[in-house]
Amino acid sequence: MKKGMIKATDAFERIVHWSLAISCIVLMISGLGMMFHSLNFLAVPVGGLKNLKLIHNFTGLFFIASLFFAVLMWWREAGVFEFPEDAEWIKVAGGYLWHVDSVPEVGKYNPGQKMFFLAVAIFGAAMAVSGLMMWFPLSFGAGLVRFMYFLHALGFVVIFAFFFVHLYLGTIGSPGSLPAMTSGWVTRAWLMKQHPKWLKETEHKGRLVVYGKEPAPREGQGHHA
Amino acid sequence: MKGTDFVKLIDTTRCTACRGCQVACKQWNEMPGLRTRNRGSYQNPPDLEWNTWTLVRFQEHENGDGVLQWLFRKDGCMHCTDAGCVKVCPSGALFYTEFGTVGIDRTKCIGCKECLFACPFEVPKYDRATDKVFKCDLCYTRLREGLLPACVKSCPTGALTFGAVDTMLKTAYARVEDLKQDGHPDANVYGDKFVGGTHVLYVLGEKPEIYDSLPQKPAVPLTVIAWKDFLKPLSLLAAGGVILGSFLHYIIHGPKSPDENGDRDAT
Ligand code: SF4
Repeated sequence: MKKGMIKATDAFERIVHWSLAISCIVLMISGLGMMFHSLNFLAVPVGGLKNLKLIHNFTGLFFIASLFFAVLMWWREAGVFEFPEDAEWIKVAGGYLWHVDSVPEVGKYNPGQKMFFLAVAIFGAAMAVSGLMMWFPLSFGAGLVRFMYFLHALGFVVIFAFFFVHLYLGTIGSPGSLPAMTSGWVTRAWLMKQHPKWLKETEHKGRLVVYGKEPAPREGQGHHA
Repeated sequence: MKGTDFVKLIDTTRCTACRGCQVACKQWNEMPGLRTRNRGSYQNPPDLEWNTWTLVRFQEHENGDGVLQWLFRKDGCMHCTDAGCVKVCPSGALFYTEFGTVGIDRTKCIGCKECLFACPFEVPKYDRATDKVFKCDLCYTRLREGLLPACVKSCPTGALTFGAVDTMLKTAYARVEDLKQDGHPDANVYGDKFVGGTHVLYVLGEKPEIYDSLPQKPAVPLTVIAWKDFLKPLSLLAAGGVILGSFLHYIIHGPKSPDENGDRDAT
């Protein structure tokens, strides 16, 4: 690793992220296999739709646990909008869509990321509740269960679309972002571009962990859980 | 494969509640009879069950003139043209047959129970032991061999008849006319006016609302329509839009890369 790399996330954060990501992907694939007859073949490798259903249901439990930790860990940094800077950021769409001379500096997570977090948190919770009730539908009233099917489909629409936004912006759409969730070490240049305020504040507090430098007084500033 | 649609006509005014159809159904489909309790009614079991696909409902009804009537109605799957159960079934276990009826291939059923909540008539029933759903398939195996459904075959009074849809509709409406002449002013045909028309038609002697457990305006639930006809395609559209949008963003605006000299003095 190069000298001067900065630690953006700690191991726990990354484990939670990938637990959520992997369970979400398994749920989406298995869900698609049940949602579209033309995708029923996705069940072939696991020996049929019934097994796919079981995989979907139990992965759901894993997803719920991951979501719980994700919300606990991120809601403070990613779940609350800060004014006025977040509003100003939104006005210029964070400089993602048209040229902006200087993008308003926001906290560790920008409003776009906050929206993504909130979408995952809110619709993820909706998926959890509706999914559990769909698992045991005979224990609930028919009207309620019908609404849960609707909610599950609605949550899928939102999460499926947001998934690709996240995939793009986490990789080729924003080069330098991916390492934040792989090794956890990012470049200063990337932080300057994406999270300048966080960089300055953390540095100011003397909490920045820089590779090859004297260890900072306290390790890891990813979460306060 | 699309052939002629077939219809079973249930003329409730001719039914004597002998329950021959109920027995014939169990026999042909090899469904066990389970012990039930005497509830003071001949209606037994009290409702459709996984092992009881058709059932004669017994109902005591006092009409406006204080006359007590004993109404019999053979209940079971209506074989909808626009069937909620088929719409939601994820595995294709529930399917439209070449006769226009709704068949069920239990080897494909995964026990998700979605059809239980999509059927406007509460017909499909779930069996915990096999983790499968059961319902009348209008004797699909018999129809394919050119035989009548077992219930129709067994009916001694002519209350159950079976035939091509046009013929049966004509028969039904002719019968209603006769009944009206004959002192049943409320006689009506039930089944052809909703869910695309059912492949089970009733000739009812009284208004539909008089009968127990008979929905007056059966329809595929709105939530099911929103789910399957709106959200399902929307999920693909939205994701496709995002993918296309990302691609356009990448080639038009370009990725958001760190500035070349992105050290602490930049910006
Ligand atoms: S009555 Fe219910 S089970 Fe029968 S075809 Fe219609 S929706 Fe399906």
